[in-house]
Amino acid sequence: MGKTKKLALMALLTAIALTIFVIENQIPAPVPVPGVKLGLANIVTLITMKLLGKKEAGAVLLVRILMGTMFAGSPSTLLFSAAGGVLAFLVMCLTLRFFGDDQLWIVSALAGLAHNAGQLLACMLVVKTPGVLAYAPVLAASGVITGVFTGLAAQFLLKALKKAKL
Amino acid sequence: MKKKSFLWGLLLALIVAAGLLLYGKLGRGEGMVAVVSVNGEVLERIDLSKVREAYDLDVATDFGRNIVHVEPGAISVTHADCPDQICVMQGKLSSNGIPIICMPNRLVISIEGGDIDG
Repeated sequence: MGKTKKLALMALLTAIALTIFVIENQIPAPVPVPGVKLGLANIVTLITMKLLGKKEAGAVLLVRILMGTMFAGSPSTLLFSAAGGVLAFLVMCLTLRFFGDDQLWIVSALAGLAHNAGQLLACMLVVKTPGVLAYAPVLAASGVITGVFTGLAAQFLLKALKKAKL
Repeated sequence: MKKKSFLWGLLLALIVAAGLLLYGKLGRGEGMVAVVSVNGEVLERIDLSKVREAYDLDVATDFGRNIVHVEPGAISVTHADCPDQICVMQGKLSSNGIPIICMPNRLVISIEGGDIDG
């Protein structure tokens, strides 16, 4: 893929991730548990990693988190998003090569788990209340469930994209 | 490939099941002292067993504003200026329970045992 095409594709993917992120932020929380969300923008991170590579996925993720905070989040949650996002990204990078194209849901579930772990750790460091750990079990469960969901979405999308010969 | 997927699926399902089963069972504070803190700094310690009349606590900091409702034996957040309103939905916290958290405003209300000194 040429440099220009790659750059354009990365910009497009970032825009899509941002849009998903902002729209998801408008959906009211389904359960009264802090930190639980679908994480639909994760689909884009996975797709980018598969189509373009790890470095590119990292770049798209960072820009999305920073601009997402400007557009939708509050500055004080940037730390939590970033901690979760970076940890999830690292887990994705490390595990992706062990799983095939039809096993992206596993990679994504592990990333979801890592995301929530990172978020909880950052939260614990900031609020200095160990009681926050009470949320660890439910955050682990939600990380896996939403991870499987977004991973499957990425898997189906990747299949379609390959058929369309992007 | 199929078998590997199945085993991973099983492991992940176990994590989900364990997580849901353990939720609410771990990390419950036992006692009657509610600790209200923002960004790691304790603002108030309230002995809920000594509250006779309900009152509101206005917690306004650099991170945001929450109205904390204190009543005999229970504490809750009735207003938050954050977008997600999760802390309001969490309802009342009484003698035992897991902490109420408002992440954007960095507010945590947890329950501790023991008496307040003095």
